[in-house]
Amino acid sequence: MAPERKGAGKSGGIDSSILAKIINHDVASKGRRAACGAVYVSKKLLRSTGKAAWIAGTTFLILVVPLFIQAERDQMLGEIEFQQASILGPPPPGAL
Amino acid sequence: MADLFPPLVTAQIDGKPPKADEKVDYSNLPCPVPYDELHREAYMSLKSETFEGLRFDFSKGLNQRFSLSHSVMMGPTEVPSQSPDTTIKIPTAHYEFGANYFDPKLMLVGRVMTDGRLNARLKADLSDKLILKANAQLTGEPHMSHAVFNFDYMGKDYRAQLQLGNSALVGATYIQSVTPRLSLGGEVFWAGVPRKSGIGYAARYETDQMVASAQVASTGNVVMNYVQKISEKVSLATDFVYNYFSRDVVASVGYDYILRQSRVRGKIDSNGVTSALLEERLSMGLNFLLSAEGFFFSQVDHKKKDYKFGFGLTVG
Repeated sequence: MAPERKGAGKSGGIDSSILAKIINHDVASKGRRAACGAVYVSKKLLRSTGKAAWIAGTTFLILVVPLFIQAERDQMLGEIEFQQASILGPPPPGAL
Repeated sequence: MADLFPPLVTAQIDGKPPKADEKVDYSNLPCPVPYDELHREAYMSLKSETFEGLRFDFSKGLNQRFSLSHSVMMGPTEVPSQSPDTTIKIPTAHYEFGANYFDPKLMLVGRVMTDGRLNARLKADLSDKLILKANAQLTGEPHMSHAVFNFDYMGKDYRAQLQLGNSALVGATYIQSVTPRLSLGGEVFWAGVPRKSGIGYAARYETDQMVASAQVASTGNVVMNYVQKISEKVSLATDFVYNYFSRDVVASVGYDYILRQSRVRGKIDSNGVTSALLEERLSMGLNFLLSAEGFFFSQVDHKKKDYKFGFGLTVG
């Protein structure tokens, strides 16, 4: 076990040293920091966009939807009345 | 402005002021709106009752003048708690029985609730120009009952009101038309129990299309509002309330759509509160003699995350 490990350590050591060199390089660490920052900012942006979308959506639902529904019904009522008036015509003078 | 209010709302009789010619006739100014109703248009559009739960009203007229009403209300009521963030809601339900008597000269309204509260209102025309109004609320709890008497005098282009309350409350208001469109007024009150006195001033400017009014009181309240009538059906209103002692500021903007069968009012606040009230006249068919009106109220408070919804039905 020990020699394996030692051997592995040795070969792994060579690999790990190359890998460690890459990982600890300046450019790589700067890139890592930038990626962390970008993830942090994008998380915040997503959360605030989500919040804003929720507020905008519920406000629209409360304020605007009943109005649209009622305005549509009023318009349809107006159309029905107009159609009835045009079909039936003016009421005859002798009618009750 | 009489055509602004549809039959859905209780009739507010307000004679149209005579159209002014090029020269203003200062000796013939119209009578101003009563001081309590200075902000009437803005309140009708913006101050919707924040009702949560179910409400059902049934009124039956026994006579041409006398009618009874039954009303059931079920829903949570808010109780003020220590911290301003949390509100405690206690579900309550009660039934209210009422009787009304309407005469051209005398109006009596009484209501009794299942929690023992009695509310009585009286409005009597003592003469052509003097009106007496009284409002009393009696409860079982000691020291919680109160009564207020108002004497209103309507002059040619002014109105004066004297108010007397039961715990040594005295108040007087006076409002005068200065031009056909502008009226100015003031009020003075003295309350005996918390020894406070106050003075306030108010101004109201109205045209056919808009009404602007402002009120300042020594209790620290400053109220300004503006209502613009965009068309026969639509009006927009905005309101600004500021208390210069407690530094509370609230501004709100709202709309009011009066359609043939319904009325939709919506409002958004600077506290992050949006609310809407929808009232609709339900057509129950030709067989029914009674008319029914339904209303639906919703309010979303984004800051406090408080959501309230209420609906109700009025029959008769």
